[in-house]
Amino acid sequence: MQHAMADVRLSKFDPLPRILAFDDFDDGLHGWCELVGNHDGDLSQVQPVLSDMRPAQLSSCTFFDIGTHGAVDGTYSLKLATRPRRFHQAVAIKRLTSPTNGRVQLEAWFTYKAEQTFGGDAPGARAWDGNYHPSEAHFGSFTLWNDVCEGTAPGQRYHAALRYENTNEQGEFTQRWLYKTGLHPTTRMLRGGFDSAQNDVHVARPDMWAPVPNGSQQLCFNEVPTKVNWHYLRWQFDLAARRNIELQVNDLTMDLTGVPVLTFDEGYWGITRLLNLCLDVRTTSDVRNFLYLDSVLVSVDW
Amino acid sequence: MRESFTAVIERNAELTDRLATEPYECAWASEARWFVRVMHLEGGGHLSASVQVSPDGLHWCNEGAALRAMDAPGLYSLPVRDFGGWLRLDCTLRGRAPRARVMIYLALKE
Repeated sequence: MQHAMADVRLSKFDPLPRILAFDDFDDGLHGWCELVGNHDGDLSQVQPVLSDMRPAQLSSCTFFDIGTHGAVDGTYSLKLATRPRRFHQAVAIKRLTSPTNGRVQLEAWFTYKAEQTFGGDAPGARAWDGNYHPSEAHFGSFTLWNDVCEGTAPGQRYHAALRYENTNEQGEFTQRWLYKTGLHPTTRMLRGGFDSAQNDVHVARPDMWAPVPNGSQQLCFNEVPTKVNWHYLRWQFDLAARRNIELQVNDLTMDLTGVPVLTFDEGYWGITRLLNLCLDVRTTSDVRNFLYLDSVLVSVDW
Repeated sequence: MRESFTAVIERNAELTDRLATEPYECAWASEARWFVRVMHLEGGGHLSASVQVSPDGLHWCNEGAALRAMDAPGLYSLPVRDFGGWLRLDCTLRGRAPRARVMIYLALKE
């Protein structure tokens, strides 16, 4: 009630006591920029999976059949778009640092879509029946994640990543939440000989994911590629404990305190108190996949 | 203050024949400027690029403006207005076994 009275736009969120960022994409991109891998000015040194993460867009959700759909409020949302190429991934990042340890919470109103296609689908694909639309099977996954580094000592950097997998690597419906069980090599690790399949920014091999306990969930794709329904998401993690706490997506709240968070064995220079928040979308088909954010709110308990 | 945003539409991309850039939404902007930085060009290559517009990000037609004579490394630029909600650049490279490496930027302003 207090939030609603202070600002009606905040009443759809449930923030921790201090709001670090309220990003309503009706008035700009709010520092959500494209991720790129490390280089020394020569862009051909960027490792392939981190070389083409695509610039974020301010979208009006405009479609061929109805025109402009708009967002939860206002017209614009943040849009991440893959190329129409299997396993391509688009990533946006917001770069902060943390003054102290404590809880961090990311909330968002989001939706996701595969691009409209015309003509027949692949032989054997489940056909349109007036309710189910094959476009839903064209959408791969989206992931929320962080990049945290406390200092320069070994073991002080980690990534927590939570993925909604709509379809697996084979394009089959799975509709569940995953956490990662392995790391993707940083640029320095890659230069040191750590190998990577280079098809997912999160993991060195595509099988390095495991289901979040009680994390099966069907979201509201809404039948066709041109109807968007906005979903609520709230993810909380603890910088002091180096752990996820919980993830709420609509009516499902997952306890993440038992989900392992992997640290890097080595120390990293120049990223002390790093607190990066990231969002990405990854296609498992040769169709563009889109992740839309109406608004994002980052809050903390310190 | 007017909103602005520069998107890197192609980064260090290699061309050998044709490249239509990915659809980019820009309904919020009233002016745009394309920058094509030709970093490398060989095989007697001649690069041209036509601005294209779309109502839906799926169906495209030429807007009319074009960069027609990019035949040496360097920076080339083109302003666009009244473009509706989407922009892309349709690039064609001609020559004997031509090869080019480019950066393509789209600078947008409210």
